Amino acid sequence: MARDYPKQKTRSEVSRRVLQRAAGLAEGLEGLAMRPVKLWRTKGFPYRAPSIPRGVDVPAKKSTLGADFDTDFARGPGSRFVRRLLVAGPVNGMVRFLARPKVEGVDRLSDLANNDAIGGVIFAPNHHSHLDTPLMVTAVPKPWRDRLVVAAAADYFFDKRIKGTIAAIALNAIPIDRETTSRKSSDELRRLLARDWSLVIYPEGGRSPDGWGQEFKAGAAYLSAKTGAPVVPVFIDGTGAIFGKGMKRPKRGHTRVVFGAPLWPEEDENTRRYSERIERAVTLLGDESTSDFWTARRRAASGASTPLTGPDYTGWRRQWALYEHRKTGAAGQRRRQKRRWPDLG
Amino acid sequence: MKALRIDRNTGRFMLARLVSGIDTGSAAKIGPLTLGDDDAPALPGSGWHRVYPRLTGICGSDLATVEGHASTYFENWVSFPFVPGHEIVGELESGERVVIEPVLGHAARGHALPFENAAPGDGDDYAHLALPPLEPGIQIGFCNSTGGGWATELVAHESQIHRIPDDMSDERAVLIEPLAGGIHSALQAIESVRGVESPVIAVQGAGTMGLCAVAGLRAFAPHAHVVVGARYPAQMRAAKELGATTVVKSSELSRTVRHVVGCHVVGDYLSSGAHATIDAVGNSDSIATSIRITRPRGRVVLMGMPAQVDVDLTGLWHRETELKGSYTYGTETLPDGSRRRTFDLAIDLAGTFRTERLLSATYPLSDYSHALRHAAEAGPRGAIKVAFDLRGERSKKDSTSKKEGQH
Amino acid sequence: MPRPGFVLEVDRSTPPILFWRGENFSLEKLPADRSRIIYAPEPHKVIDDIDGAIRHSLLNPIDMDPLPTLLFPGMKLTIAFDDISLPLPKMTRPDIRQRIIEAVLDMAAEAGVDDVHIIAALALHRRMTEDELRHQLGDRIYDAFAPRGMLYQHDAEDPDNLVLLGETPHGEEVEINKRAAESDLLVYVNINLVAMDGGWKSTATGLASYRSLRHHHNTHTMQNSRSFMDAHKSELHKSNWRMGEVMRKHGPKIFQIETTVNNDTFPKPFDFLAKREWEWNGRDRAKFVAAKAGLNRTPARMARNIFHGIEAPHNMTSIQCGEVEAVHKVTTENVWKQQLVEVQGQTDILTMGIPFICPYNVNSIMNPILVMCTGLGYFFNLYRGKPLVREGGVVIMTHPTTNEFHPVHHPSYIDFFEQVLTETTVPHELEARFEKRFAEDDWYRHLYRTSYAYHGVHPFYMWYWGSHGLQHCGKVIIVGGDAPTVRRLGFTPASTLNDALEIASDVVGRSPTITHLHTPPIMVADVK
Repeated sequence: MARDYPKQKTRSEVSRRVLQRAAGLAEGLEGLAMRPVKLWRTKGFPYRAPSIPRGVDVPAKKSTLGADFDTDFARGPGSRFVRRLLVAGPVNGMVRFLARPKVEGVDRLSDLANNDAIGGVIFAPNHHSHLDTPLMVTAVPKPWRDRLVVAAAADYFFDKRIKGTIAAIALNAIPIDRETTSRKSSDELRRLLARDWSLVIYPEGGRSPDGWGQEFKAGAAYLSAKTGAPVVPVFIDGTGAIFGKGMKRPKRGHTRVVFGAPLWPEEDENTRRYSERIERAVTLLGDESTSDFWTARRRAASGASTPLTGPDYTGWRRQWALYEHRKTGAAGQRRRQKRRWPDLG
Repeated sequence: MKALRIDRNTGRFMLARLVSGIDTGSAAKIGPLTLGDDDAPALPGSGWHRVYPRLTGICGSDLATVEGHASTYFENWVSFPFVPGHEIVGELESGERVVIEPVLGHAARGHALPFENAAPGDGDDYAHLALPPLEPGIQIGFCNSTGGGWATELVAHESQIHRIPDDMSDERAVLIEPLAGGIHSALQAIESVRGVESPVIAVQGAGTMGLCAVAGLRAFAPHAHVVVGARYPAQMRAAKELGATTVVKSSELSRTVRHVVGCHVVGDYLSSGAHATIDAVGNSDSIATSIRITRPRGRVVLMGMPAQVDVDLTGLWHRETELKGSYTYGTETLPDGSRRRTFDLAIDLAGTFRTERLLSATYPLSDYSHALRHAAEAGPRGAIKVAFDLRGERSKKDSTSKKEGQH
Repeated sequence: MPRPGFVLEVDRSTPPILFWRGENFSLEKLPADRSRIIYAPEPHKVIDDIDGAIRHSLLNPIDMDPLPTLLFPGMKLTIAFDDISLPLPKMTRPDIRQRIIEAVLDMAAEAGVDDVHIIAALALHRRMTEDELRHQLGDRIYDAFAPRGMLYQHDAEDPDNLVLLGETPHGEEVEINKRAAESDLLVYVNINLVAMDGGWKSTATGLASYRSLRHHHNTHTMQNSRSFMDAHKSELHKSNWRMGEVMRKHGPKIFQIETTVNNDTFPKPFDFLAKREWEWNGRDRAKFVAAKAGLNRTPARMARNIFHGIEAPHNMTSIQCGEVEAVHKVTTENVWKQQLVEVQGQTDILTMGIPFICPYNVNSIMNPILVMCTGLGYFFNLYRGKPLVREGGVVIMTHPTTNEFHPVHHPSYIDFFEQVLTETTVPHELEARFEKRFAEDDWYRHLYRTSYAYHGVHPFYMWYWGSHGLQHCGKVIIVGGDAPTVRRLGFTPASTLNDALEIASDVVGRSPTITHLHTPPIMVADVK
C-alpha cells in the first residue's frame, strides 16, 4: 500500500495537467467560434428576427408540443423500418434483460388473427411503470406488433420535441391528454383504428401511484364502442417492482404479460358498464396469473377476486397488503426447477 | 492312410487364429492342419477294432481347434499330433456299419468301470483320460493313439461301437453323435422342471447342437413350451420342423420368453422367465442372456463350449440361477425313471426326427479347406451340418468295400 | 368457393401422380385410359369466430337444454375429450378441445360448479405425455387441473375406477369409467375427423374397458362393417349404439359436443402435397424436387421428427352439441359435405400411398402392422356404398414398411409381429389363438397403465381393422416395402409400381382398371 501512494500522486498530477490543457484548448475553440457569432450579432433584420412594433397584436403561435405533437411521420415507411429494427434489437434486449417477460394467453387471439375482417385492435393493459410500453411493444404478437400505436401521456412524453420524437419513432407513441378527453386525440385514434392500426391504451390513465391499480377510465371502452374494434384485456404483472413510479433506477426482475379473450361492446351497454367489464376482465387475468385458470374463474363468478385496485383501507396496511400481493405474482417469482420428462424419441 | 492331422505348432496356431477372423478356409490351410499320408494307428490291444469312416461330421469344437481358438484347458487332455473328427459313421473290417461313441472311457483305457454297464462318458473321476495305456485324450478325435474321423482309418474300442440297422442311411447316422449330445442337454434341462405342469424351456442358438437339443426336448418333454432363438432362416425353419413351439430371431428371444411366460421386465432382466434355458452358443453375450431370461432358481444348461467369457454374475447370484455344464452323453435317467445310454436313445430317435435333414453338404477329404469354410459359415449360407464323405476314399484303395445303405 | 372432389380419368397427358411413401413420396405414372384418380374436395372455410360459435352452440344445443341450465352448484361434472389420435396431423395451437373446454369451464364457474374432472377418453390407446396434453388442452387448463389430479387419462384396466352399467340384449357388457358414469353431467368433447368418430362411439369406446370393447372390436364386427365410415352399414356402430341405449337408460346424462374440421392438411411449405399435380407451379415443383432430394438423404429418425412436427392448418368448420344421436346426425352430414366424392363403379386395382401418420403413431413410428391397418383398415374403408376395389381385386400400397417399432409406444406390436404373424395372418384364427394371452398379459397392462404403451391387445385390433379388406381383396402388394417384412404381413413386395401392376395381372388380368386414392387429405368415395 505504501508504494501505491507516490504512484497515485503522480496520477493526479498528470490528470491535472491534462485538464489544464483541455481548458486551454476549449478557450481557443470558443474564441474561434465566437468570431462569426460576433459578426452575425452586428447584423440586423433580415439576418435576425424582426423586432415587433409597439401596438401590434401578433397571433399566438400554435403549440406543437404536448397533445398537439404531430406524430404522423412516425408511421411512414422509413420510421416503421427504423422502429422494427429498434424493437427487435435494443428495446427487446432491454426488456429481456430487465424484465424477463413470460407471455401467456396469445392463443386466445387466434380467432382475431385468422379473421381478415378485423383490423385494428385495442389492447388495454393495467399500468404500473414506464416499462409497460416497451414490454407491450415486444409482447404483442406478430400480426399486430408491426402496426401498433401506443397512447402516451402528452404532458409527460411530448413536453419536449426531442423526447417526443424519440417516443414517436421507437414506440410509435402518440400523445393523449390524460385529464380531458380532447376531441382531437380521440379523432386521431379513431382514424388510426380505421386504418388498421392497433392501439395500446392504458385505461387507468397513468401509472399507479402506490403499486395498486387505479379505476379504469372509459377511454378504451368509448373507442371500442365508437369504432367496433375489439378490446383485448391485458394483465401486466411485475413491472411495478422493477421500475415503479418513484423509483430512481430499475431493478431487474420477472414479469408476466397475460392476454385475455377479446371483448366487444354488447348491445344496450353504455360505455361505463363496458369499461367496468374490461376492468373485470383484466382483474380476472390478474387473478389467473397468480392462481390458475379455474380458481380465478370460480372466484370471479363468486365475486371473490382480488381487485386490481387493492384493498379499501389506506395507509401502511395498504402498503403491507401490496407486499404480500407481490409475493404471489411475477415479482415474487424464483427460478423454479423445470420438471423433466422422458425423451420418448 | 489319408488323414487330416493337427500338429502342436504354436506359430501355426497363432497364425490360424489371426487368419480365422477373415476366413476359416485359409486358416485351415496355413494353420496346424495338414493333409497327409500317415501310418494308420496300431490296435492298442484286444477289444479294439479298425474302423473305416464313411461319413464324419465337422463339429464346432473341431473348428475351434483348427482356428486356434480352443481353450488352453485342453492342453492336458489331448495328445498331439492327432486326427480330428468324432462324429463318425464307419464300417468295421467285417463290413458292419457302426457309429462311434467317441469318449475314451474306462473300458477303452482298461480301467475299472465306475458302475456296472457304465457308458464311456460316465464317472466322476477323469484321471483315466490322461493315463496310459493310451496317450491323453478326452475322446477320439483328440487322441494321438486312436486317430480320428477325418482320416480313412482309425481304431475304436468295443465299448465305443454301436452297430446300426441296415435300413439307416449313413447320412442319418452321422448325426447320431450330436443328437446324443442334444438329448443329454435336453434331459438336464428337463430334470430341473420335473413336476412343472407346463414348463417353458428356452434354447439359445439353433446350430446343430441347438437343434439336437430341441429334438431332445420334444422327445422327452412333449408338454413343454420350447422357445428357440435362431439367427438364420434355415435354422429357424429346421427348429420349427423339429417341433419347437415358438421360433424367433435370437435378438427377440428375451422378448418372446417374456411374453410366453407373461412376466414383467425389470431393467434388462425378466422378473421371472423360462424354467430352464439351454445355451447352445456359449459366449459371454449368450450366457448373460441365458441368465436374464431364466427364472430365479431356474437352470441354465451350458451346451455350447464357452472358452473364456466375461459375464456379470450378480444376477446369477441374486436369482440363485443354476449354471450347469453339459459336455456329452453317458447313461441317462429318463423322466419315467428308467436308465438308458444316451447313444441308444439317439439311435432310436434318429429315425423319428429324420436327422438326415440336418446334413447340408459333404466334401471329400482333399477339399477340406472348402469344407471347413462351409462349416464355419454354415448359418449365413443356410447350412446346418457339413461332413466329410470318405466312402469314395476307401473304395479307391479297397475295391472290395461294399456299396450299401445309400438312400 | 372450394371446389368439390373430383375423379380424373388418366390420359396420355396426365402428369405423374403423387404417391406417399411414409416419410417420403414419389411421382408415379399411371397407365392411360384405364386409370382414374380420386381427389378430395378442397378445404371448406373455417369458422371465423370460433370462440363465438362455440359459445353460441353451447347456448343453443340440439334436443337438449342450454348448457348453463344443466349446471348447478354442488354437481359432479365430468368433461371427457378425444385423445391424440385426432385430428391428424395435430392442429396448430389453440386446439379445438382447449377452446371448447375453456368455454364449458367458463359456464361451469359461473354456475358455481366446484367438482369438475377432465378425462382423456383414450380407451386402449397410449397415455399422452404432458407436452401432448398441453398441446391439446392448453397450459391454462393443464396448470389448473393436472396438479390437483382433476385432469387425468382414462384407465381401461383399473378395476376400481370402472363400473358395469349393464348389458345389451346381445349380451354385450357396458363398462365405462366410474367417475364419468357417476357424474351428474358428462360433457364429451369430440373432433370428428372422419365419419367413424363420434356418436355413441365416443363414450362407449373412449371411456370403456377391455371387457366392454371386445364386443365390437373383433373380426366378426369388422368384417361386417361395410364400411365403418358409414354408421348405417357398420356392425361396429350398431354395437356401439346398442351400448349407447344401455347408457341412456343407466348411465349419466351426456352432453355431446361434436366438431368437424376441414381437410386443410399441410402447412407451408408442404402445401403442394394437397394440390392437384397439373396445378403445381414452378415453386411447387421446386419444393417437391428439393424435399424429395432432401428426404432421400435424411436419416429415417430425423425425417420422422420433421413430419411429426407438422401442425396442420385445419380447423373447425362446424360445432354442434346436445343429445348424442341427434348431434351425431348433423355432424356426419357436415363430415360428408367436406369429404364425399362421387365415384362411378368399382375398380380392379386400388392404389394408395401410405403417409407417415395414422391415428396410432402420432409422434411415433409407423410400424408394419400400422401400415396394414392404414392401408386395409382406413384407406380401404374410405368408401360409402361399395368398396372402391371389386371383390377379389388387388390393393397396391406404397410404403417403405421397415421392420421398425417404437419400443415404448408399441411393445406388444413387436411380439405380435414376431410371434403371431409368424404363425398366421388370418384374423379370426389369430383372434382365437392369441388375443386372450396378449390382452391379459400383466406386463403390457403395466406398461399401458404406467408408461406410454398401447394396450397389449391393440395390435390385434389393428389387424381386425383390416380384416374386411383382407377378406375382400385377392392380393395386396406393397411397393418399396422391405421384402421379408411385407411377406410376414402376408402381402407381396414389389420394387416399383410397374412391377406391382405386373404382379397384379396374375389376379386381375392384363388390362385392369386402376383407381388411385389421392389421400391425404382425407376423403370418402361414394361408390355408385
